[in-house]
Amino acid sequence: MNYFGLLIGFATLCVIGFGFPLVIRGERIFGYLWWPYMMVTGILFVVISLCIQIDWISVLVGVLGATFVWGSTELKEQAVRAELGWYPFNANKLKPPFEEIIKKWRAPHL
Amino acid sequence: MNSIGLVAALTAFFSIWFGHVAVRKVEFLSPTIWPPTTIFATLGILVEFLSLSTAHRPLSAALGILGITLLWDSIELSRQQRRIITGHAPANPNNRRHAKILREHSAATTQDLLKREPIGSVVSTAEMSQLVSNL
Repeated sequence: MNYFGLLIGFATLCVIGFGFPLVIRGERIFGYLWWPYMMVTGILFVVISLCIQIDWISVLVGVLGATFVWGSTELKEQAVRAELGWYPFNANKLKPPFEEIIKKWRAPHL
Repeated sequence: MNSIGLVAALTAFFSIWFGHVAVRKVEFLSPTIWPPTTIFATLGILVEFLSLSTAHRPLSAALGILGITLLWDSIELSRQQRRIITGHAPANPNNRRHAKILREHSAATTQDLLKREPIGSVVSTAEMSQLVSNL
């Protein structure tokens, strides 16, 4: 019996669970226009995981990266949820660098 | 270079994506939710057993992650039904279970209120329907 995968599965569940408040709070404070920064952060985590020799840590950092990339695709829908009153709405969000350029891009949603 | 983190990341991303789409589709079309709930849970347990029985670490990690997401999807089916009741997800009038929800719960709607771009301000109930119908 190899418990590695099962334990990794439960650890992944916890990391993805962290993704929920990350998207909710992140959207409230920063707004959905930060999505490219969140996506790049996720990709960086995955790249860093390639350099980690300890399997456990490499997997957790990789999954954290996947959570950030997935979260970046959830920000737009979360912004709409806040506008509908399903979550608290913050009108004074922090503007991202290069906001005008990002506004021209269609925010991803899967 | 250690690719196990990349394997785990790709498995997590694509299994979350698959579950996200599959749960919505299956719940939308299925007249009862317990059969798909049972199927997702059984598949999840089966994949976890496969993960336990392989010595190959990357494969074991990938199966471990996939199994847990399938088990989570089985729980998500009931949570999705709750979203239909509260109007947070669109109901299917051609599904008899959803038709009953539409009759009994005033918040339930056939409109997907999330299918639009953010406008940067809070919207009223009347505005939210208008914004979606304008698409």
